Amino acid sequence: MRALALGRVVARRALSGVLVLWGAATITFAALHTVKGDPALVLMGGEEANPSPEALAAVREEYGFDKPLWVQYGIYFSRLLHGNLGDSYQQHRSVLSAIGIQLGPTIVLALSTAVVAVVLALAVALATAGRGPTVAGAVNAVTTVLSSVPGFVLGIALLFVFSALLPILPSAGNAGAASLVLPVVTLALPIAAHLVQVLQPELDEVLEQPFILTARTRGASVASTKIRHALRHCLMPIATMTGFVVAGLLGGAVLVETVFSRQGLGRLATAAVSNQDLSLVLGVVLFAALVFVLVNLAVDVVYSLLDP
Amino acid sequence: MTSLLTRTDHRRTRSRRVAIALAVLTTATALTACSGGADRTAAKAPAALTDQAAVANLAKAPARDDPNAVEGGTLKLSMSQDPVCLDGGQVSTAALQVLGRLYYDNLTTLDADGTPQPWLARSWDLSGDGKTYTFHLRKGVTFSDGTAFDAKAVVANFDHWRAPATKSPLAGAYIAPIKSTKVLDANTLQVKLSYPYSAFLNVLAQGWLGLTSPRQLATASNQEICEAPVGTGPFVVDKYTPGESLTLHRRKDYDWSASYLNHKGPAYLDAVDINFVSEASVRYSSLTSGEFDATDAVSPQNAVAVASNPNFVYRNIARQGNPSRLTLNTSRAPFNDVRVRRALSEGIDLDGIVKTLSYGQFGPQHAYLAPTTPYADKGANGRFVHDPQNAAKLLDEAGYSKKDAEGYRVGKDGKRLTAYLPVAQSTSPSPFNDLFQAEAKKLGLDVKIQQVTAAESASRRATGDYDLTTGVWHTNTPDGLYVLYSSNEITSKERIGQNSARLTDKELDTLLLKARQTTDPAQLKKLYKDAELRLEQLVPAIPLYDNYTSWAVNKDVHGVPADSSHGVPLFTLAWKDGGK
Repeated sequence: MRALALGRVVARRALSGVLVLWGAATITFAALHTVKGDPALVLMGGEEANPSPEALAAVREEYGFDKPLWVQYGIYFSRLLHGNLGDSYQQHRSVLSAIGIQLGPTIVLALSTAVVAVVLALAVALATAGRGPTVAGAVNAVTTVLSSVPGFVLGIALLFVFSALLPILPSAGNAGAASLVLPVVTLALPIAAHLVQVLQPELDEVLEQPFILTARTRGASVASTKIRHALRHCLMPIATMTGFVVAGLLGGAVLVETVFSRQGLGRLATAAVSNQDLSLVLGVVLFAALVFVLVNLAVDVVYSLLDP
Repeated sequence: MTSLLTRTDHRRTRSRRVAIALAVLTTATALTACSGGADRTAAKAPAALTDQAAVANLAKAPARDDPNAVEGGTLKLSMSQDPVCLDGGQVSTAALQVLGRLYYDNLTTLDADGTPQPWLARSWDLSGDGKTYTFHLRKGVTFSDGTAFDAKAVVANFDHWRAPATKSPLAGAYIAPIKSTKVLDANTLQVKLSYPYSAFLNVLAQGWLGLTSPRQLATASNQEICEAPVGTGPFVVDKYTPGESLTLHRRKDYDWSASYLNHKGPAYLDAVDINFVSEASVRYSSLTSGEFDATDAVSPQNAVAVASNPNFVYRNIARQGNPSRLTLNTSRAPFNDVRVRRALSEGIDLDGIVKTLSYGQFGPQHAYLAPTTPYADKGANGRFVHDPQNAAKLLDEAGYSKKDAEGYRVGKDGKRLTAYLPVAQSTSPSPFNDLFQAEAKKLGLDVKIQQVTAAESASRRATGDYDLTTGVWHTNTPDGLYVLYSSNEITSKERIGQNSARLTDKELDTLLLKARQTTDPAQLKKLYKDAELRLEQLVPAIPLYDNYTSWAVNKDVHGVPADSSHGVPLFTLAWKDGGK
């Protein structure tokens, strides 16, 4: 019975996921094409280049800019269904390969950040839960500041301290674990702060429940009570926060990759938007939508397992 | 439209955006202190700047190699811009000015004075009609894949730049005058042009026009050439990671560096490691912490700190060619009236604006050609006058004598004197726009700054739907005047041109075309002087300051002259203390 229900959840979610992807692609396509202007001029370097008439004509023909919009839309979607995302104007390669090249470093950054943020949030929440209003107030103050400081400011400040004043960490690049430290901290601190803000009151509440007292009277230590009993009740809110965390990771990657001169999807997305690289923007949007669809699917599955 | 400062030249450089944003915040008020003088005063000479110097001084290589030079070591360089593609034929990005010199060589080079000199072409003959060049190529040169460099290789490169599939935004247009090529023997190439083109030898020296192995051109896809072009240069591309870094290693058998460098044999450095660091503040802090040995773009707000730091050599170089400028659309009102154009040029405090936006790093330039350009008229800057009273008089004469309640001038039709300045959206727009807007208001001109997308900007440029635009076109020849002001260079549906003033003046057209068709130095000097004088009458644009490039190198690194074409740092002769 339970497997059947789960299957139904997955099927429903998968279907709505496809609709989300189609919607995301259509809206982005429409938004990019309602912008006034001739994309052929832009992708030949805008006013900053001096291309020949032949080169301009080649671009118009290659990308179908001379065709009506609905025809371009049709071409785009039929290509999409065949798994062809088209070519990036600026990157001089296919959209798939442009995303593929930048994907690895962003995954490394995002996963490291997710682990650091969750571990940090759990540690802080567990250490400070049930310690009375003064501690709770202090935690609240610190996390409010951290969660509202712009990532840009935090990143530049960390860079200034740890790679300019005390030159112990590199300021740029993806070379080795050392180059990962500052970007991960920049990205993880605000996310961890948000998680603590959700977790800590939840833990405080749980710690006042009768079953905690029961456990304590059976001789369990404070720490083990918190970890073995209270924490389990916080799994639901953490699962709920997953979407927020993923959004923070993808959005934050744009800033962090720029500040720390790292290779990655965020930097690719920025370049694509500022260069009006239509195919690449569509590709990145579709990719982000796909990540959200998959994450939401996973969260729904976890929900139905935790709380059938 | 290309905004001033945010793009140091026509090839995109985002490097200075953050710098500029900060600049606006801290000095936006300074302009109010500047007032226009009432007397008709000649322009003052530029103030002394931190190491402001012409390329000519800094591109002069020593007559022989430094006896202390040691081999070895890796140079770590931070660059403001990721080229996205390393093939100079496929891009117009400014990064190729530095990068091209590492893995490419060119047919020609300029010397420190801007005169074309031999490189891979050891000599050339020019026919009497100025249309046929016969290049005698250097023997014994090889590409890093082992392919021999010969006349066929040069033809393969011309073909690559011109092929529509290459979609060349720059190199293809530069060699468009080529009509046909003929391989006379392995080391002799005849190139016929459709018309005489005096800038031909200059453009062949630019970083984008470096030569690629014909074997690679024949067998590799354009994407593969982008990732690792195979040249004859002193360094070979190891690995390019888009969005992050580029590493190169030395070619040990290299022995054909550009003639003006007076150097035999390979480069000294074992390797060059480059990171693309887009944030100006990060480039600054990582340079001072010693993480990088050099950086290619020092932003104006860090310039004084870097220049006064004894650990660095700081260069702020006024490049030859066209200065940064504010262009006026001469094809529609109000700037179709030369009196209104002249009023704007004479009436606003240009020197104050330039000083404010550059932190005093840029000297104001009022000539249409930088004085460092060959054949530029040295007296042009001194002929400029700042005269707000005359400006007011000119506007009265042009029919804008009344003022409305807000103090703006009103035309005879009752409409306010208004000029539209579309600027491409940016997170940190250039401070020039606001400084200029405030100054224009004093004159009674309402400047409307319009934030538009890059695509809309390009389209409005194509249809002429703007009154003002800002930008700079970097090139290494006075022929830049043709590119900017010849009526052949007006953007149309078919073609992107750089004559954004949409100027059509027969007299100027004739002068600039003649200059293109002449190679006689005395005639060129006269033609370009006449062209400059004509431009001063027409005022199609307001020159603002020279096209600067600012960079810094750690004191431990020696032998870094300025590139003779682009003014950027050149690493062919660079060596590090102790070879580390």
